[in-house]
Amino acid sequence: MSQLELRDIRKTYPGALDETLKGINIDIASGEFLTLVGPSGCGKSTLMNSIAGLESITGGSIVVEGKDISTMEPKDRDIAMVFQSYALYPTMSVRENIAFGLKIRGMPKDEIQQEVERVADLLQISALLDKKPARLSGGQQQRVAMGRALARRPKIYLFDEPLSNLDAKLRVEMRTEIKKLHQRLKTTIVYVTHDQIEAMTLADRIAVLKDGELQQLGTPKEVYDTPENLFVAGFMGSPSMSFINVTVEQAGAGLVVNVEGSDGRKLALPVPDYLQGWAGKQVVLGIRPEHISQPDEQKRDNQMVAESRFTVEVTEPTGPDILAVIRLNNVDVQCRLDAEHPVNWGEEAELMFDMRKVVFFDPDSEKRIRP
Amino acid sequence: MEHTQRRPTGVARASSGLMDGLQRWLPKLVVAPTFLLVGIGIYGYMLWTGVLSFTNSSFLPSYNFVGLEQYAKLMESERWIVASWNLAIFGGLFIGICLLIGVVLAIFLDQRIRQEGAIRTIYLYPMALSMIVTGTVWRWILNPRLGLEKLMHDWGWTSFSFDWLVNSDFAIYTIVMAAVWQASGFVMALFLAGLRGVDSSIIRAARVDGASLPVIYWKIILPSLRPVFFSSVMVLAHIAIKSFDLVMAMTAGGPGYSTDLPAVFMYAHTFTRGQMGLGSASAMLMLGAILALLVPYLYSELREKRHD
Amino acid sequence: MTDMVRTGFRPSRIAIYGVLLLACMVYLIPLIVMLITSFKTPMDIRSGNLLALPTDWTTIGWTKAWSEACTGVQCEGVKGYFWNSFKMTVPAVMISTLLGAFNGYVLSKWKFKGSDLLFGMLLFGCFVPFQVVLLPMAATLGKLGMANTTAGLVLVHVIYGVAFTTLFFRNYYVAIPDALVKAARLDGAGFFTIFFRILLPMSTPIFMVSLIWQFTQIWNDFLFGVVFASGDSQPITVALNNLVNTSTGVKEYNVDMAAAMIAALPTLVVYIVAGKYFIRGLTAGSVKG
Repeated sequence: MSQLELRDIRKTYPGALDETLKGINIDIASGEFLTLVGPSGCGKSTLMNSIAGLESITGGSIVVEGKDISTMEPKDRDIAMVFQSYALYPTMSVRENIAFGLKIRGMPKDEIQQEVERVADLLQISALLDKKPARLSGGQQQRVAMGRALARRPKIYLFDEPLSNLDAKLRVEMRTEIKKLHQRLKTTIVYVTHDQIEAMTLADRIAVLKDGELQQLGTPKEVYDTPENLFVAGFMGSPSMSFINVTVEQAGAGLVVNVEGSDGRKLALPVPDYLQGWAGKQVVLGIRPEHISQPDEQKRDNQMVAESRFTVEVTEPTGPDILAVIRLNNVDVQCRLDAEHPVNWGEEAELMFDMRKVVFFDPDSEKRIRP
Repeated sequence: MEHTQRRPTGVARASSGLMDGLQRWLPKLVVAPTFLLVGIGIYGYMLWTGVLSFTNSSFLPSYNFVGLEQYAKLMESERWIVASWNLAIFGGLFIGICLLIGVVLAIFLDQRIRQEGAIRTIYLYPMALSMIVTGTVWRWILNPRLGLEKLMHDWGWTSFSFDWLVNSDFAIYTIVMAAVWQASGFVMALFLAGLRGVDSSIIRAARVDGASLPVIYWKIILPSLRPVFFSSVMVLAHIAIKSFDLVMAMTAGGPGYSTDLPAVFMYAHTFTRGQMGLGSASAMLMLGAILALLVPYLYSELREKRHD
Repeated sequence: MTDMVRTGFRPSRIAIYGVLLLACMVYLIPLIVMLITSFKTPMDIRSGNLLALPTDWTTIGWTKAWSEACTGVQCEGVKGYFWNSFKMTVPAVMISTLLGAFNGYVLSKWKFKGSDLLFGMLLFGCFVPFQVVLLPMAATLGKLGMANTTAGLVLVHVIYGVAFTTLFFRNYYVAIPDALVKAARLDGAGFFTIFFRILLPMSTPIFMVSLIWQFTQIWNDFLFGVVFASGDSQPITVALNNLVNTSTGVKEYNVDMAAAMIAALPTLVVYIVAGKYFIRGLTAGSVKG
């Protein structure tokens, strides 16, 4: 039995014309880390609040371990939430913040004491127990917020963009912390973020949302390598995938698509046989920067690899490598070049296209064309 | 596995449907007393006064309806006409002068003045006084024989004469003086707060463009304080229309009824002269005056919000 | 804003300080006159002028004002009325503030259908000229047997003060993040627990504002005092007005001024001690929610 089932969740705000959530179906196993990711306004926060019971749903049901909790009050759902703004009670010390929920539930004092200490130990905030939130740094406040959730030992943890208010470096540190905690405690976590890198690094599975609809539910690898549609393909991965409109053509025994560079130079890129049904038709080619790089001797003999020279329009050194932009079919396409062999913009570079992991999309339905 | 489920004991378990239902009603229950008090005490009574204004009540409320007779009487009453004119004069001067003084003082205070806090405290303390106290003091200060006039004489200006307080043509201006003294500090406080909230990057841009400080104030800062102007005018107008205490303390409406104001008229006719119907009508007209100011103001506020 | 005046405005600064100081004098002089006059003898007043210091400092004006002056029919000074004002103001301030706190809490954190309408109603209630409610209120108080009582005055001040206090608290609580209330609900806290354990401890500033604002408004009120109270239940503002307007005998301005000082002292003291809360109240009331 899955721990949390979201069955056809629908939500329309009073007075709104459209549904905010248009029928979300997700099953979450016990101990799983699921991230909800999507652009602003996709409904992820609404879904999160609905699971917590802070907002009501207009259709569907929320089932926890077989029990329908859709109409239960938040306090009865045995769910804890960590907020983006931490939402720590400002007039209470850290200790009191963590103990608050336990006190309300009538836990005896010594048990509360034990719990607070256990949690403080886990999160390394024992030294802060008697301070008030205003005296803590952002990262410390975040830990206290997590501690408050952990102390209650709920069935499900909800994290609502908890790292968005932290600076970049701290965010990466806290991300690792959260991942470690999850591995240690094996709790069920639903984690909302708009940062797809966060989603990828933390999740067991990712749910990509757009406009209240689930676009894809899968492991990070699945979502990255085999995105369901144009939106997921473009949303996940940074720098993002480039999309080029091409026509599938027969070239001898195999299929190719032709691309033209900014200087008119053409290149025929080999494409897999499963596109046979699309010969003569237009498709959208989705290619990631790591698929275009400097020539590699070992790949040269591969059928699905093509080489040519193209003019580099812009270069962005990132440290470990260089992002270069070339123009194919009037579209800016990013490539990943070796930092040891820089190219100046305006110069030509010898580039190798590895077509093995490239994906194709139906231009009308925007869905990925499957093998 | 470290994460075992522990069922805590206690009150929360007893949470039944009844408790949840109560929680849903609780917010409404809590505001209900206020809702009742205000519903009756303000809106209900407003209606009641309105009803009375259409009757011929005199010493006691009666319910003989006489249509608009009381309003007609008001329009013909010379005292009411004087009171209304006085309100226009008083209100206009009061608002205008308060705004002027308030804005000037606020601008000056904004110039990084030492002891700004102390000065602000001094400008504002009159607001903490009752209008009766203000009226009493100013009545003494403007006392025709022993007040300002005598002071000037003692200081050498022997031809100075100041009998405005007992001069039916000028008495209303004494009320203006006292009221401005009391309330201009308030306008100053509002504008100072507004000035402090102005985006400094706009001012820096103007300085780079070469504008001088007075020009910056006149052309950029003050226009951006329009909302403060409007709320000041609203509050001042409200004070003016309600002005009762100050007049009663300074002149009791006199000499004669040359400093009468609608609020004084209403009190006199309702409670002293036993003409409740007429008094009620005058009260309704006062309400009308406030509405005439409030409705366009709210309308323009709402409209602006929609445009944002 | 304030880093403006470093560039060569020296001469004007003298002018600015001059104007500001002049204004200070204008604002302070009436208070000074009130004080000086209250310590003079009637002879001093007749022979001297407004700003002349007393030749003999005397407290006779004060003692007379406190316990002997005539306020209409009785001649027992204003002391009884001074206590009346306290008896009326303190309960009214407490009740209207408490109600305002609860209302503000509900209207900001527990909105329901019609709660915005209720708020609008209250907001409008702040603007209504009280002349339109005087007569019905007087009639009602009579029917309730509370005419001319301090309790009646308390009721009146609560009814007409709760709109302001609600406005204060509601605007204050609106600025507190909703996430705090959500976190508390998830922790299992209910309506009252959230209010008493979480919001109330954070509310000290606005409580001060409400208490001080209400104290000033209610103590200084005259209209309700003169309409709804008479004789023994009158507040000091009414007594002062009666004292100053009695036409019998010679006018004793020192007594008048002393009585005015007595009436003014409580709110002045509050202002001096906690003026910043008063100012917050003033400016908060004009900011549209």
